[in-house]
Parts: sequence; C-alpha cells; structure tokens
Amino acid sequence: MDLPAQIRSSLQSQGLPPPSIAWIQTAMPNRNPLPPLPAIIATVKTRLLAADLTNPALFDSPSPAFPPNASNPEVKEVKLTWDIPVQVLDIENLSKSKWEQVEELEAIARGEQTRGREVIRLPTGNEEDEFAVDGQATQSTINGAERPGFQGRGGSAVSANTANVATKTSTHRLVLQDCKGQKLYGLELKRIDRIGIGSLNIGEKIILKRGAILARGILLLDATTCTILGGKVEAWQKDWVEGRLARLREAVGADSRNAP
Amino acid sequence: MRVLCVAEKPSIAKAVAGHLSGGEVQTHNTPEKYIKNYVFDYDFGRPWGKCQVTMTSVLGHLTTAEFPPEYKKWDYPPPDRLFDAPVNVVVAADKTKVADNIEKQARYANALCIWTDCDREGEHIGYEICEAARKGNRTLDIRRAKFSNIERAHIINASRNLINLDLKQVNAVATRIEFDLRIGYAFTRFLTTSLKTLGGPFQNLLLSYGSCQFPTLGVMHKREDIDVNFSWARHRLFDRASVIIPYERCLTAKRAKVTKVQEKPTKKWKPLPLTTVELQKMATRFLGMTGQQAMETAEGLYNKGFISYPRTETDRFDPGMNLRALVQKQTQSHAWGEFAQNLADGGFQQPRQGRNDDKAHPPIHPITFAAPSVLNDREKKIYEFVVRRFLACCSEDAKGVTTNVDIMYGEESFHAHGVVVLERNYLEVYVYDKWTGSVQLPKFTVGEMFEPTEALMTEGKTTPPPYLTEADLIALMDANGIGTDATMAEHIQKIQERDYVRTVPKTSRLEEEADDAEGGQVAEGGRAGQSTRGGRARGGRGGRGRGATTNGRGGVMEFIPTQLGVALIEGFDRMNFETSLGKPFLRKEMELKMKAICEGRTTKEVVLGESIQQYRHVYMQSQQKLGVLKAACRQYVFGA
Repeated sequence: MDLPAQIRSSLQSQGLPPPSIAWIQTAMPNRNPLPPLPAIIATVKTRLLAADLTNPALFDSPSPAFPPNASNPEVKEVKLTWDIPVQVLDIENLSKSKWEQVEELEAIARGEQTRGREVIRLPTGNEEDEFAVDGQATQSTINGAERPGFQGRGGSAVSANTANVATKTSTHRLVLQDCKGQKLYGLELKRIDRIGIGSLNIGEKIILKRGAILARGILLLDATTCTILGGKVEAWQKDWVEGRLARLREAVGADSRNAP
Repeated sequence: MRVLCVAEKPSIAKAVAGHLSGGEVQTHNTPEKYIKNYVFDYDFGRPWGKCQVTMTSVLGHLTTAEFPPEYKKWDYPPPDRLFDAPVNVVVAADKTKVADNIEKQARYANALCIWTDCDREGEHIGYEICEAARKGNRTLDIRRAKFSNIERAHIINASRNLINLDLKQVNAVATRIEFDLRIGYAFTRFLTTSLKTLGGPFQNLLLSYGSCQFPTLGVMHKREDIDVNFSWARHRLFDRASVIIPYERCLTAKRAKVTKVQEKPTKKWKPLPLTTVELQKMATRFLGMTGQQAMETAEGLYNKGFISYPRTETDRFDPGMNLRALVQKQTQSHAWGEFAQNLADGGFQQPRQGRNDDKAHPPIHPITFAAPSVLNDREKKIYEFVVRRFLACCSEDAKGVTTNVDIMYGEESFHAHGVVVLERNYLEVYVYDKWTGSVQLPKFTVGEMFEPTEALMTEGKTTPPPYLTEADLIALMDANGIGTDATMAEHIQKIQERDYVRTVPKTSRLEEEADDAEGGQVAEGGRAGQSTRGGRARGGRGGRGRGATTNGRGGVMEFIPTQLGVALIEGFDRMNFETSLGKPFLRKEMELKMKAICEGRTTKEVVLGESIQQYRHVYMQSQQKLGVLKAACRQYVFGA
C-alpha cells in the first residue's frame, strides 16, 4: 500500500471521515526525507480537522451528507441511516437570555466580573501603560493580592472568550454544516460536556452517527449519537469571538421590537 | 495618687463612675453643659492602687483636620493643590470647652485612664484626649480600659486590667481622616465648580433594559387530591422552537416514569450570632427602621447597659462566655420568657460559630433584661430583635423532611420537591424567619409509570431586576468593602441628603420568604412547582444572589437613583478609566489599607503617599475628560 492510502486507512480507523487521496497528498508535509509515518498521520489529521469540509477536493464524491429534505419541519422524526461528518458554524447557550450574555460581556469589557455579590476588577490590557504615566508603581501589594482571577496581561480577552461558561443543566444549540454546505440546527437533547461557549470551537468537526434523531428539521444531539472530533477553523473562530457581542446586541434589539 | 478618667460620651462616664464609685460620688458641672466631672475614690489594684478619681468625658472627636485659611476659597487655588496642601489638626471650634476641661483636670492628675469605645474611632479619640491632657501635664502615666458593655462586673474587671492605647489603630484612623479631607475637598470642589454652569428642567429618566422572552415546560399530576407540579430540569430555554420539539416528544411519549424518589431529613439552620451589618439589614427589613435609626437606637440601649456594644463584626461567641446566665435573665419576659425558661431547663445549645472575629467585641447580645416600660418604641423593637436573635442562637435548628421526585417524560426530566416541617425549635422565638415548606408530596415509587394529568408549555418574559432595598444595599456594601459596618448607615444617609437616590415604599411582591444565605439551602422548596406553572422566573439575571424580599409588613423602602445620581455614575463610567470613581474598588482599597496599618503591615505615610497618588491620577483624567461627564449630565438631568 502506498503512503497516502496508508494514511487514509489509519485516519479511517481513528473514526475520522476518510479524505480523498489527492487531498492527502496536498496535506502531507513537504519535507525530504519524510518524517516517520505516525508523525505524518498526525500532521494530516490536524490539517483535516482544521479544513473546511465544504472544500470539494476534500472527499471523494459522493461523500456522506444530510439526507434530502432534512430541514423539513413537517417531518416529525427520522433517524439518520449513515454517519455524517459536520462542522460547527455557530453555538448558542439557550439557557441564558441574550441580554444577560450581553451584560456579562460588557462587564468584562469594562474590566469587571462578579463573584457572588462582590464586583471584582479584572486586569485590563492597557493598565500597565496607564500607571506608567505616573512613573511610579502605584500597584501596591494589597492591590495585586486583592485581584482573584488575575491572569496577567491580555487576561480580559481570555475571559471574554470563556464568559457565560456552561453548567450541567445548560442547553446549547449549534449550527452544523455538512460537506455539501447544507446547514441544520443541532440541539442538545442530553448535556454533552464538550459543548460549551469557549470549549467548542467554530469549525470543530463532529460525526453524527447512524441512528441520530432528526426531529422537525432539528438534529437532537446526545453523547451516543454524536462524536466530537475536535479541531477548529482559526479564521472563523476569530470572527465569531470578535463579532459575538454585536450579534447578541442585534438579536436583543430585534427581540424587543417583536415583543408585544 | 490622682487619676483622670475620660470616656467617649457623657452617658458612659456616668455609668462607669457609678460602677467604680459604688454610688459615693460628687458631681461637678463644667463649662460645657453636657459634660459633668464625677469625683470619687477607687482602688484600681496594682500598680495604681487607691486613687482619687475624676471621671469625665468628651463628645466624640475633639479635633478636626483642616486646610490653612489660604486654601479655603472655592475658586482659588485650583482643587488639585489640595492633594499636597498642608493639613492642620486643631481642636474643633465647638469642642474647645471640652478640651479645656481635660487640660485643666490633667494638671491635678498623675495618671490618665482612657474609657473610649473599643474600636478604631474610639482609639483615635483616646489619642486626641491624650494630646489635650498632655497640654496640661506632660508627665501623665497613660492607660486604657478595654470593655465592650457597661455591665458592672465587666467594668470593674476592665479597670483592673488596663492596657495601652494602640497607636497603629490611631494611625489608621488618622490616615483615613486626612485622606477623606484631601480627596473629598478636591473632588467636591472640582465637580461643583465644573457642573455649576448647568441648569434647567428635569425630564423623565429612562433606563434601558432589554427584555427577552422565554418559554418553559411544566408537568402537573393529580394524585390523592394533591396537584403535584413537576418543573423542567432545563428550567427554561430562550428559544421557542427548541422548546416545542421536546414538548412534542413528551406528549408523544404519553407516560412518564419515576426515576428517583428521595426522602431525607432536613434542617433550617438557626441564625448566626448578631453583627452590626446583620442588625442593620434585619432592622430595615423587619422593624421598619433605616440602618441609621437602628444604630442610634442600639447605641442608646448599649449606653443604658441593656445590650453589648453594637458595633462589631464578630459572629462567634467566645466559648468561655456564660451564655446560659444571659438566657436565664430573659426568663422574666412575658413575650419570650417561657422560651428562655425552656432553654434554661436544658434546651440550651451552643450557638453556631461564624467565621468573623474582630477580636474586640463579642456578637451583639442582651446584657440584662429590660422591661418594655423603660424603653421607647424603637428601643423596644431593637431590644426585642436582639433578644430573640440571641435566644434563637442558643436553641436548636428547625427540623423537617424533604421529598424529591424525579421523573423522565419522553427524553426530558422533571422534578418535584416537597418539605414538611416537623420541629420548629428556634423558629418559635425568632419570628423573623419563615419556613413555609408545607407542601406534602403523595407517594411515588421508583420505576412506576403514570400518565401526567397535564403537560403545559408556558411563555414567560424576563423582567428588570427590582430596585435595591436598604437591606440589599447594606449587604452589597459589606460584600464590596464599602465603609465599615459602623459607617455604612451614614454613607446611605449621605447619598440621600445629596439627592443621588430617593427612597420610596416598596410595592408588594410575590415572594414572601425572606431567607438569607445561611438558611436558604432548604427554603427554595415548596414553591418551586408553582413558579414553573405560572411560567414566571424571577428576573433575567440569575446568579445575583438577591435573597431579600418583603415580608408584607410594610415599611420596607426601595432606593431609586435620581437623574443626578445616574448622571454622575454614568459620567464617571463613561470617562472610562481604570479607577472609576463610580466603582467600589478605590474605597475598598482604602479600607483594606487601614486594616493593614492596624496590623502593622504598612504605615500611614506609605498609604497616604500611594492613595493620594492614585487619586491625583484619577483627578487629572477627570479633568481631561470633563466633557464626557458634562454630556452625561445634560443627557440624564436635562434630557438633551
């Protein structure tokens, strides 16, 4: 068996959707001599998980996609009859109101977070510059010690990303896309720990297993019918994080206009 | 040997003189009409022995910090000069007669004994007294009495175990005084002169709030004539379609399966020993008083010897204290005597131990029994509360049984919760706590299947969080370190005087329970089912931990910010610099630094240097961004 075929069967045995031989050849490291096989496989796997599934060169056609008419809300329930690889385009926490999420993000942007009833100050990115104006270290020891959650510079960006952390009873809704570019909502039927804002990436790959339920055009997710493979598409993730507050604000505005 | 004793206020001087003299005392008037000098003989024990004593008092602080005359004009010099202008400590104009009396009496004395209240401010007042006395006599031997109530044996004991003044505490207060003077003057002048040019009609204030709709699911099952309401484990989802789908699947499943039945004993914990903050919170919630009134009343009761010192952070009793004897004293009451008697007869339980100990005073507790006839209305209420709280602390937790039933309906799980109270115990005497968990669930067995009588999908809507009550505000100030337990009530008074907030009587609300964090762990029961049925959830902001609610007795006030208050806060926030004046962090740091001085970890000079530097920085930023503040004022106050 030649190298690309070996890689392909190895990926397949790891539960990944097998990419086309042509794509594997483009994804292989361009070095001479080639690194050992396990390293090559790891590289190709990482590239596969970071790829856009809708790239037509990625799979040999026909590749598994959502059944026709999948988004029809008239259909009460069907089960998937084959495994389908999908990628995450969006994630929403339905257990918290959008306004609540907006407020939380805004508070973090102001450099605050609450711990119980206490308002906690977070380090903001420009703080060192501000104090430098004085030419004096104004940050006393008390000051530093009294800041739980201190994460160093740029800490606020990290927090903004992980704000609205999911709890055991949270319910999330995902937008999932197959390799043909078709999109469906996925709703957590049972809590899946890896699904959460900040823990599930945009562009992350998921395999929907045969037997997964599609109800009224929405995929119902639970741990037995949905395998999370990992990965992300860096550019999508960045845009998503940066645009999140604006999207939430816009949605809140639309909601309150529609309210009676 | 002659000893001069000085208390913080006349009532304490009189009471202490009474105890030490045993009644044989000559009383002399002084030029200050409120202050008397009491002369008597007393044996302090070693090293002073038998002494001729003159006991007098001051009226709170003797001195005041002020800027020299050339800084007293508002228009010049510019306010920021006040950050490093000289500060003079002088005898306050209205206290010269008091200071003269001490100076004069000190001339005849060999020793000085300070009897000010044992807290930071008291320590500083003690130091002011020393300074006044030293002007008359530089060779005084100076001591301090440590006491936390004015019961006779306690006072005698304090007089035999004199200690030294704690200069660290004195310095902490001196730091705070100088800091407040500089910062307060600089910013007040800056704001007043900058905003004084604005004026005009007020317009209605609108606060933005984004409302969100949410549907939820509920299941009702009627059994043994009891409507059992099961609430959805997901609580609610902020998306309609995402609720319809599970709802449809529930209906399709038709029958629900009982997955868990759990019955277990539960307790509602008795309250912790009483601190100042807690006293103020409870007084505003249940006694129809402001925190300020509660503190004044409690001080009156302390001055009369009925309760212990009411300014304390301690919520644990020293194990060595004879609490049973204090319980015994309450047996003569008509209202709670019987309950106290039961405790005295063997029902007594050691109080819970809280986590705070200020090492100066015990929790607030009754010292002797006070007949209702000797107390005015407010005193009666506060005294009753202090006693009931104390007796509650010395009794047993309330006991009950909770039942939890989980069911699986379709792929969704639902939950029902019931509580039955078995023994009321401390609740009998502590009428302020309620445990109305009387929802009894019928019998369910694990594995049984049943068809729910009703399954409902209801729509709800988030509502803005309610305004803060005084109790809420005190709790938040406590959590965020704004003010000390002793000064919070004054801050609250001040923001009302300045017209930053107004109070209005609170409109009645649905909830009737008023549980605090300690007791709350079981109290959420009982009503959970109903609240889901109605499709109502309290507020859109979970996790704020707002436990306070009305009790339907009326008199609870809510704080509503005025346009001016909103304008200032918004303005400071929009200036958007690291240390906003609108945020509690700076104040909290000051309080922490005072504590550090008391513990010897830093000094007055270091703290003042640091803090003033910080505020000077904020001042300069405020000056640069004054336009932002003015814009906020125009927007909120003038509607522009």
